Amino acid sequence: MSETLLEVENLRTVFHTDKETIHAVDGVSFDVSEGETVGLVGESGSGKSVTARSVLGLVDDPGVIEEGSIRFRGDELVGGNWDQHRGDIAIVFQDPMNSLNPVYTVGNQIKEALRIHQGLRGSEATEKAVELLEDVGIPDAARRVSEYPHQFSGGMRQRAVIAIALACDPELLVCDEPTTALDVTIQAQILELLDDLQREEDLGVLFITHDMGVIEETADRVNVMYAGEFVESAPVDELFEEPRHPYTRGLLASIPGRNAEGDRLPTIEGEVPTSTSEPTSCRFAPRCDYAFGACEEVHPGRVRVGDVDTDHEVACLLYDDTFEETPPEGGVEAHGGESA
Amino acid sequence: MLNRETLQRASGDGRTLAWLGIGLLLFLLEAGAAATFTMEALIKIALAVPGVDSAGFLTGLESAARSIPTLLSREAIPNQGYYNGSGYQETFLGLAPAVAWAIRATLVYVYAFGIMGWVVAGYRLYRSTYRKADWTPRDDVLDRLRSHNWGLFGLVIVFMFVTMAVFAPALGPTTVDQNMRNSYGNDISYWDSESGSVETIVVGEANLGSASRGNNQNVGPWSYDDYGRFHPFGTMQNGRDLFTFLMVGSRISLVIGVLSVGLSATIAASLALTSAYYKGRVDLSMVLVSDAVMAMPQLLLLIMLTTVLGDTWINEIYSGGFLLALIFAFTGWTYMWRSLRGPALQVSEREWIDAARSFGQRPTTIMRKHMLPYITGYLLIYGSMTLGGAIISIAGLSYLGLGVAPPTPEWGRAVNLGQDYVRTGSWHISLIPGILITLVVTGFNALGDGIRDAIDPQSDSAGDETAGAGAGA
Repeated sequence: MSETLLEVENLRTVFHTDKETIHAVDGVSFDVSEGETVGLVGESGSGKSVTARSVLGLVDDPGVIEEGSIRFRGDELVGGNWDQHRGDIAIVFQDPMNSLNPVYTVGNQIKEALRIHQGLRGSEATEKAVELLEDVGIPDAARRVSEYPHQFSGGMRQRAVIAIALACDPELLVCDEPTTALDVTIQAQILELLDDLQREEDLGVLFITHDMGVIEETADRVNVMYAGEFVESAPVDELFEEPRHPYTRGLLASIPGRNAEGDRLPTIEGEVPTSTSEPTSCRFAPRCDYAFGACEEVHPGRVRVGDVDTDHEVACLLYDDTFEETPPEGGVEAHGGESA
Repeated sequence: MLNRETLQRASGDGRTLAWLGIGLLLFLLEAGAAATFTMEALIKIALAVPGVDSAGFLTGLESAARSIPTLLSREAIPNQGYYNGSGYQETFLGLAPAVAWAIRATLVYVYAFGIMGWVVAGYRLYRSTYRKADWTPRDDVLDRLRSHNWGLFGLVIVFMFVTMAVFAPALGPTTVDQNMRNSYGNDISYWDSESGSVETIVVGEANLGSASRGNNQNVGPWSYDDYGRFHPFGTMQNGRDLFTFLMVGSRISLVIGVLSVGLSATIAASLALTSAYYKGRVDLSMVLVSDAVMAMPQLLLLIMLTTVLGDTWINEIYSGGFLLALIFAFTGWTYMWRSLRGPALQVSEREWIDAARSFGQRPTTIMRKHMLPYITGYLLIYGSMTLGGAIISIAGLSYLGLGVAPPTPEWGRAVNLGQDYVRTGSWHISLIPGILITLVVTGFNALGDGIRDAIDPQSDSAGDETAGAGAGA
């Protein structure tokens, strides 16, 4: 059993604005072990990126980690202790044009990280930077190292961003929608690259995306996030075969190509609410086809479902024995295309 | 491919040599002036060290430096001579003083524009031959500035103003020392047409005889006085040469302006970066501080501080100019800070800032390396515009009889001295410096506009706030 890198427990990140307090991340817990890929999936606004930023200690004022603990190799990070593990956790952002500074050459930016984390300078650093660019599959790296980001294509830029992340020699890589800004062929290449790197270096990866298809390919374990909470957590195969939460089912039903029947793609009506107070009901209830009376009154806790040895949890009253409604058999269809 | 590159490099080497040669030539023409300037500065620094009261060795070097021939000096092209009945004596090639002076002044500007052209050529050479990247974002900025006529107009005006300040002693038909500070310690020769002979007179006396005081007694622009001295801009109400006064006055305006704008830009930029990086409470407290500073009436504060600090040691430095620069900087940074805060906040949202933070870069380094380059453009824009404002403010204070202490020439004081004669034949004393102030300030604002449009092509020149109003003096 490989060692646990990151342990996040009951994390609450809130943003205090003038009008209200927004609970962006509301009590999530997960672990990432060496060599493991943990997926975080959800719609825009569900709190995925804030979770990632919380893990790296990048939450800006007026946001604050109000509660919970983030431990890296057993060391508590919450409370401003990120500096002792800087570089151990690296991040790859969504838009590669935005995460590279256009006024410096790519090499310059890799060397910046090399200098901080490996103490390399001058020609030594340049050599290492070329080596890193080669590792991430950039051809003609020796020439490319002195080029500016605008001279790189989108896929190359993301490779360069990954090279910068690797320059820190990290143990945990947080990927915040790393392929969203890329087209599908490039996306496949980048995913393959991340997979290779993970196997070579035994990296732990926290992979954030809204794309169920990508999650199915990459993750070992998936957490489905909705309005700041995990509504379902399960190993990837289990989740795709037997989704329990109506939201997860809705997400899976809306993947093109998964549902052959029906000429329209099913959608989940409505959008993610902004959580401004302590939950007193199920946050998905207003959009849920299976909501019943208790859903409006009780905030569902997490219950264990499925076989005893599979680690499958879901936060839905349908699976809570104290409430009467029974979960639907087979599959939950979200709003069919016909009625839309 | 390789062949072409070597060829390109080789032709680049030839052009580089030519460029370096021209640079050396341009430098040699003024080597004496450069050496003298350096030695003078060194002597001042040496004398400033406590316990050193003479710098004999340096003084020796300085006089050696003075003897190096310099093209654009009063000695090389003299214009102060006299008519002896048959021809001009002691002037350049025996030409009339007006012509000799005009040649020197023209050469100064030709030289200055030559330097500018040399720098531009050097940059182009670097861009075409030595720079690795074919294109950088800066190129577009420069290209846009090049086609921005209003901005170029500003650039030319500002460049001419700076040249005026740098070459002030060589540009004037006479010197401050001879004509103003020590006018009773110098004498000149002139052709007395009544007696038909060359006479000698103390400069102070001659000044009294050539004063511009309205319709009865006036030496207007582009004319000679009774003592054969040429005055391009006429004389002042006390008979001193207005052109010399203005040339030397441009120095103090520029030095105070650059010093105050430099200081306030440093304060504004570091505070803007800090508030953008830390946001939240830090930002809020800076907003409060700057609002508090802005709430003070700047002109009244200036008048009060110049009066209160008038007798202290700090007012001795540079005829009170240093004090003025400090006051301008510490009251004026708020406007620039406000303008820089927005762009700084925008940059702080970019992901490369978070990327740098995530791999543990220090906050100060992130601010300097990843944020500062994005606000330097704005620094240039607002710096240029504030500089115009500062020049107006300095002139305004001198006009009110505050600020730069007499007898150090200052443009605003010329406006003040001449205001009694505006409706008479001696209109030039107030009007010419007034026009020059307006022109220079317009130039700085135009340059600021040009830089803004060059940096941000989407910006709309209309409806944007103008910092040119400056200190409101």
